[in-house]
Amino acid sequence: MLCPYRVIDLTDERGVLAGQMLADLGADVIQVEPPNGSTGRAVAPFFADHPDESIYWAAYTRGKRGITCDLEESRGRDLLLRLLETADFLFESSDVGAMAEVGLDYQTLHDRFPQLIYASISAFGQTGPKAHYVGSDLAIWAAGTPLLMSGDDDRAPVRISQPQAWGHASGDAAGGSMLALHARHQTGCGQHVDISAQVSAAQATLAQVLAHQLGAVDPERYGGGVKIRGQAIRGTADVADGYIVLLMGPGPAVGHFANHAVKWLVDIGAAEAELLDENFVTYADRVATGQADPALFPRMQDIMREAVAKRTKQEMLDISIEYDLLLAPVLDIVDLGNSPQLAHRGFWQEIEHADGRRVVYPGPPLNILVDGQSQGICRRPPPDLGQHNAEIYGELGLSADEIDALRAEEAI
Amino acid sequence: MTLPQGTGPLAGVKILDLSWIVAGPTVGRAMADYGATVIRVESPTRVDTARVVGPFHRDEPGVENSGLYGNVNAGKWGLTLDLRVSGGQDIFRRLAVWSDIVCESFTAGVLARWQLDYQHLRELKPDLIMLSSTLLGQNGPYNQVSGFGSQGAGMAGIQDLAGWPDRAPAGPFGPYTDYPAPRFALTALLAALDHRNRTGEGVFIDQAQAEGSMQLLAPALIDYKNGGPALQRRGNDDPQMCPHGVYPCLVPDGRDESWVAIAVATDEQWRTLAELLAADGSMSFDQRRQAQSEIDAALSQWTSSRSAAEVEDSLQSAGISAHRLATTEDAANDPQLVHRNHFLRLAHSLHGETVVEGPRYILSDTPAEPARPAPQYGEHNELILQEVLGLSEREIGELAASGALS
Repeated sequence: MLCPYRVIDLTDERGVLAGQMLADLGADVIQVEPPNGSTGRAVAPFFADHPDESIYWAAYTRGKRGITCDLEESRGRDLLLRLLETADFLFESSDVGAMAEVGLDYQTLHDRFPQLIYASISAFGQTGPKAHYVGSDLAIWAAGTPLLMSGDDDRAPVRISQPQAWGHASGDAAGGSMLALHARHQTGCGQHVDISAQVSAAQATLAQVLAHQLGAVDPERYGGGVKIRGQAIRGTADVADGYIVLLMGPGPAVGHFANHAVKWLVDIGAAEAELLDENFVTYADRVATGQADPALFPRMQDIMREAVAKRTKQEMLDISIEYDLLLAPVLDIVDLGNSPQLAHRGFWQEIEHADGRRVVYPGPPLNILVDGQSQGICRRPPPDLGQHNAEIYGELGLSADEIDALRAEEAI
Repeated sequence: MTLPQGTGPLAGVKILDLSWIVAGPTVGRAMADYGATVIRVESPTRVDTARVVGPFHRDEPGVENSGLYGNVNAGKWGLTLDLRVSGGQDIFRRLAVWSDIVCESFTAGVLARWQLDYQHLRELKPDLIMLSSTLLGQNGPYNQVSGFGSQGAGMAGIQDLAGWPDRAPAGPFGPYTDYPAPRFALTALLAALDHRNRTGEGVFIDQAQAEGSMQLLAPALIDYKNGGPALQRRGNDDPQMCPHGVYPCLVPDGRDESWVAIAVATDEQWRTLAELLAADGSMSFDQRRQAQSEIDAALSQWTSSRSAAEVEDSLQSAGISAHRLATTEDAANDPQLVHRNHFLRLAHSLHGETVVEGPRYILSDTPAEPARPAPQYGEHNELILQEVLGLSEREIGELAASGALS
């Protein structure tokens, strides 16, 4: 869908997903690295059989072409400027101010390429009192407020073990840039898209980031659930081989799922058939007026926990589908690797690297039909360092000799 | 006929938003901010869960009090419609023909039962763009799994990966798959709109919200699928940073706890921190990992006698990544979020005023904010039915009497 558009992607590990999102939608994305390689190539994990090759970098440069260009030197900058004549988007995620130091800041490039959409991804945004703060996944998660809400109540708050913050920010950079593309259709002009990872992380609070300002009480962390006003709500349950996410509650939004759970419990003989007469959609209202037993729902929860504890994750998933329950297994990485759902959807894509290795990747994030036709999947492997120098600089009209000379001068 | 048009890059773009809770509505919210006309369709007979979870205005639960619903639906027009009633289905079809984009998040197959799925709507409007967003996608053996992003977090591997190695998973906060999914959906819808404007071709987007979240786990998934180890939850440890964690601080009056996040990424940062701790600044990363419990103890002792703000200030001025674990009160007063005008106050007919988050992007030339707060139930029924579909008062009355508008 985005095949008319070209992205010059100057990001490092902090913004590298943004360009890939556009590449997966058909854009021509050129990852530009310094001659000695992006810092993203040093980010863990590394391939088991190629311990010097970053999986992180491969994961988010799949689908792009790659060139090297030394932006610290004028020869390299001149090349980039020639390349930008062909570009619609520029993505960057360097420290705030670093682009200005090499004369590639938004204002300078906007004056020269008014149509260029220039997206900057940073920890706190391009301006403001924290613009020069040193960012990190953990600090951003802390600043955006989700970190304090997650963890066991008797230990320090805890993050997700695969860092997330830059991924959210990159996602917002992709969306914000597409909004700027539609603006360009109106005005003919590109603009600056300023992404703050702190703001992006606040999305991961279910709007609880607003709690204080609305006059509500902050939720408190509680392992496998949440505490509200000191009241612990468990959101998970133990099963024979691990855990499930289990939400049970009365009320108009979820009470029908509780009714379905009762049906299952009666069918397996764990609960008495009279419980089928209870309607948990209206239960809370009737408890309030003294027409229903307040002890009934907690008792049903106990019965449910006892019943699921004897079964496996897979059994509970099957039962959940059959009875339409509000529960799902807590899958680990091994489970995901073996998931029949992901296999059915063709989620895993094998891609041949430049050296001939076949490497399995997660597929694109969406299945898209254009005019009723399924979109082909981009199987372009992550580029080796400078892999497309000859191809892309050749497209700009440089001869093989000129490219060799640039290489000798270490401009590329 | 039309509703009052918005301003911005998406002015004139018409969206029919049947999605619910967070993952879908967040997409429409972003498009409404930038000028799209978004009609949010819902039915009070099946209450949107976002309306019954907090944070609530003044901490009072109520379907018109939810700050979550308000945050993900600001700027939209509200229509109540019961799609189980044929009159409701008819209105929906007519609105789908009016719209450029339809967003929905019913369990796979539900819209098809009413002949309102993409295949049917496409016959009425070949260049329609439609997003169908579910936990696990439109097809496959588990496509009928229903539920919230909390179930999604379980099935996307995220729940298992937040917590301590010696304990059951703590999980992230809330329905995690609702957070990454809208980013992928918004980007694709805007690409589809661009494509349709150039080619006249319609687009259908099948989103599995879990697969969106798994993009943010891609390194761990690739590692395991290619012969590497399966990542397991590891507290706040980081394979390349040490010390790296959450440390206790002096507790201010009126609070129970206070924490600061510290991440030391380089040997140079460690030398700086070691001076403050009177520790050995020459230790390499591997040596620091060996001595991690001693370092964490010394660091905890150092942070415990200082406020989180003081630790944040002194470490950041020394070039080390640190930030207090912000409460929502801290966020309200965070000078950086204030600088970005991230919290917007909107006049509200029930609450006097409400607060929503600003857009997650600052666009230098076309800044945006929502034109109005999220709709109350049926708030714009008459406006929409009259202005968009040209129905008379009598016809609207008949629809209401048939139950189609509830």
